[in-house]
Amino acid sequence: MGVVMPLKAEAREMTTREVAKADSTDIALFVRTSQEDMMGWDRQRIVDALLRETYLDRDTAEKISKEVEKVIQTGTVKTVTGPLIREMVNAKLLEMGLEEARRMHTRLGVPLYDVDQLLVQHNKENANVPHGPEATNLTLAEGIKKEYALLHVFTPDVADAHLLGDLHLHDLGFIDRPYCSGQSLEYIKKFGLNLPHALSMAKPAKHAEVLLAHMVKFAAALQSHFAGAIGWDAINLFFAPYLEELDDRGVKQLAQMLIYEFSQQAVARGGQAIFSDINVYWEVPKHFVDVPAIGPGGVYTGKTYGEYEKQAQRFAWALFDVYREGDAAGRPFFFPKPLVHITEKFFKTEGHMDFLHHICEVAAVKGNTYFIFDRGETAKISECCRLSFKLEASDFEDAKEPWKMRYSALQNVTVNLPRLAYQAKGDDTKLFTLLTEKMQLAAKAHEQKKKFIEKLLSMGTNGPLSLLAMNLDGQSYLRLHRCSYLIGMVGLNELVKVHTGQELHDSDAAMKFGLKVIAHMNIVCAKMAESMGMKFVLEQTPAESTAYRFAKLDLAHFPEQAAKTVQGNLAKNEVYYTNSTLYHVGATMNPITRVDSEGLFHPLIEAGAITHLWLGEAQPDKEAIASFIINVFRHTQNDQIAFSPEFTCCLECGKTSRGLSEQCPHCGSEKVDGITRITGYFTKISSWNKGKLGELKERYRNQRQFAQA
Amino acid sequence: MTLFTKDDCVLCEQIKQQFDLQALDVKIEVLNSNDAGALAHLAWHRLVETARKRLPILVLDDSSSVDEFTHIERHLAARAQERGVAIQASATRAACESGSCAL
Amino acid sequence: MPAIKGFLETSFIDWPGCLCSVVFLGGCNFRCPFCHNHPLVLEPSTFETIPLDHVLKRLSEMRPWLGGVCVTGGEPTLAPDLAELLRAFKAAGIPVKLDTNGTRPDELEHLVMEGLVAMVAMDVKAPLDQARYDACAGVAVDLAAIRRSIALLKESGLPHQFRMTVVPKLHREEDVRCWRETLAGSPLKLQNFNPQSPLLPEFSQEKGFSPEAFAALQALVG
Repeated sequence: MGVVMPLKAEAREMTTREVAKADSTDIALFVRTSQEDMMGWDRQRIVDALLRETYLDRDTAEKISKEVEKVIQTGTVKTVTGPLIREMVNAKLLEMGLEEARRMHTRLGVPLYDVDQLLVQHNKENANVPHGPEATNLTLAEGIKKEYALLHVFTPDVADAHLLGDLHLHDLGFIDRPYCSGQSLEYIKKFGLNLPHALSMAKPAKHAEVLLAHMVKFAAALQSHFAGAIGWDAINLFFAPYLEELDDRGVKQLAQMLIYEFSQQAVARGGQAIFSDINVYWEVPKHFVDVPAIGPGGVYTGKTYGEYEKQAQRFAWALFDVYREGDAAGRPFFFPKPLVHITEKFFKTEGHMDFLHHICEVAAVKGNTYFIFDRGETAKISECCRLSFKLEASDFEDAKEPWKMRYSALQNVTVNLPRLAYQAKGDDTKLFTLLTEKMQLAAKAHEQKKKFIEKLLSMGTNGPLSLLAMNLDGQSYLRLHRCSYLIGMVGLNELVKVHTGQELHDSDAAMKFGLKVIAHMNIVCAKMAESMGMKFVLEQTPAESTAYRFAKLDLAHFPEQAAKTVQGNLAKNEVYYTNSTLYHVGATMNPITRVDSEGLFHPLIEAGAITHLWLGEAQPDKEAIASFIINVFRHTQNDQIAFSPEFTCCLECGKTSRGLSEQCPHCGSEKVDGITRITGYFTKISSWNKGKLGELKERYRNQRQFAQA
Repeated sequence: MTLFTKDDCVLCEQIKQQFDLQALDVKIEVLNSNDAGALAHLAWHRLVETARKRLPILVLDDSSSVDEFTHIERHLAARAQERGVAIQASATRAACESGSCAL
Repeated sequence: MPAIKGFLETSFIDWPGCLCSVVFLGGCNFRCPFCHNHPLVLEPSTFETIPLDHVLKRLSEMRPWLGGVCVTGGEPTLAPDLAELLRAFKAAGIPVKLDTNGTRPDELEHLVMEGLVAMVAMDVKAPLDQARYDACAGVAVDLAAIRRSIALLKESGLPHQFRMTVVPKLHREEDVRCWRETLAGSPLKLQNFNPQSPLLPEFSQEKGFSPEAFAALQALVG
């Protein structure tokens, strides 16, 4: 029997040296037994692997290797591969009750059948991943990294919580990267494109088009270092100093190039478009007014950004001209998502009503516009599906040197709320206790990911995260000490339904209880942030696949209760929980009530929240939308809204029409695909998972129809 | 009426000293790290952002709210007079210098 | 008081330039074959009547957000006591937009004179040719009444709009031109036929104009 040594967390951590030598053990063990003697067989390699990878002593390792050798020598297997030997060793370890050693000796991989399926079938976990060789590479790599994360980065209690569906650890396949980020164009304006280990280095751009080229390349480089969104702050303002040499046509051309570049980037990582956001301001944000502007060549122009208001507005206008037109087939651009900040200063800035009508027309015609409401003194940068970073005192200090304004959320962990209600069985105390426990577990997950990323970053520019470790301005590109850690939620509506018998929209009492749950989460975040020294904040999880996954897992683990609770079509398996703190998508509620009521949660969800309005076929009046937007700003607490129209695009004639129809209104073909927002972004409906399809059918579209009695 | 306060808020403290809130039938909601109910109640009244700037906040019976200190005093004084409840006049005006009079 | 048969709390499409609520009244003197509200036209009694108090309460709660309320149908001017309803809205400080087919010019005139409407949208179903109009309305139409309503709106100084739903089976480009000439000087709007559940079942086999063709027609009316 082997001596089982106490397993310390450090013992499981690889040092740099070990990473370097831990290569391809499996290939080294490849053996053919087709001839009489076993070519290349070396029992010692099993011993070496066991000693290197587990805590076993030499005697036990020798014993195991001999027993495995005995089986192989019987010659029943013609070709013995490394993976097979490893599994045989694992079986032996299991037999001997050496569970921890077996775990450490685990082989991560994918069954042949699965790979075959994968190469042929479409992965629908993320609708932003197309089907193709790059996409399957991504899925395979993600699969292995996910297993690695669950076995090696997180402790078993955290991993189990994820696997059982108490929590969802987002983007496990991207365990070695932070979650999402907010960027400043100023960084590449000042330093040029100077990335570690790049084949060439570019000086700061002198022309607008070159700056755009740098931005696109930098975004692609960032995409391979972050799991999710790459957002850009005040993009129209930071381009402004380069626009003076351009006439209006030139500005429009630049706007068009920018949008097409980002919307056609589906050639990058895993065939995924870069999930990109651009933040647009009509006014010059207060914190940038007196900041010296960086212009062509990366040098100060001698003016402040406040003096570039007109140029910035010209660019903002042109960007929305392009959004209004849509792509060559008239479809809305999926990326980059334009986020327009509505602030007190917006309403004091000349021309704001014209611009508001302009962006509202885009909202009506194509739906692209996201309206971000920064009330009072709040300033925010928004990223990802919902995430926003609220600027704090130290950020306003950074704003004087805007290239420092780079933000990141390191990870997102979502709590399965309906399950807590199943477990609490109507007992308030139990419900809130369980919620606290799950959040503590989420915080633990964050701590473990942080530790892992810290380790990778500590290897500096020669390590795996060289881009994030690069240091051009006195601190590493990723400012780990400024990172936030997101805790999200799915299915508040269903938690309330199970616990109180009513959905959020059914009564004030139900809504008040919902608020209490989120207030509790807000308070727990604040407490944990203080005790652990990490910035935990609530975010509305986009829950593109999580809303489906939790519903399915609960149907398996809590079948009776879940069957009564999940939304969608149970018979068709199109089930889901309502996203985050949203109201039931099918509730008959007018947009005013929805925006106002859902907005009550938003001040408690500090990393970002949104209300979606689905308008079905109707093409709303831009001025009606504009008046609505002004009222949302003045009369509600809502953080962000977007209007989501629906489109049908024809796969035969290539044309796009409004509304979801089964036949192309242009040519009558039935080969059509729908387009609308899945969670926070536009995609093709054919790529949606079943849960989201169930949700799509139930969305309330603010139409009055008189059905025949 | 409901008064949203916080434990270490000097302005809140002054209000409590000046007025017999119980006699005035003013419910006190203390925003601290153990009471999600108070925070939820604050959110219900759309006052989270206001509370992040200043406390205390008085919610009147018609659900409108007052966050200016002197206005809170005036509303409570009016109610005290209406109900014949004595007021503990305060000679010194409390000032919040520590920034603790906010959520 | 006319029975309110439908209430859409908010609409972004029924009142140009503002957000409004929409109140639906039952019954109509037309039988447009393409009508998609026909259950409301043919069998208004199958819809529950919504109490006016409820409507007024909701309108007042949403008041800061709304430009007003759009009263539509059916054909609202058929209700003998329509003015009473509009007075109730006026008393509540809520401007009214009226949708009408223009067959009741006297009624329309009274409402306008009394200052009960802030805006009128009139459906002018076809060029003012008896046979064409009858075909589009599905009944024999008193064109003189239609003409009077058009003139009334044009002379009223009141914000108004003329609308026409175009159906390939009933309307040609020439009709749109002719229609435009008749109504020149007022804001015009075309709506494309939607074959989902029309009044005449055979119209469900028809199609609307293709998006290109419809855009071309729209271009004609500016």
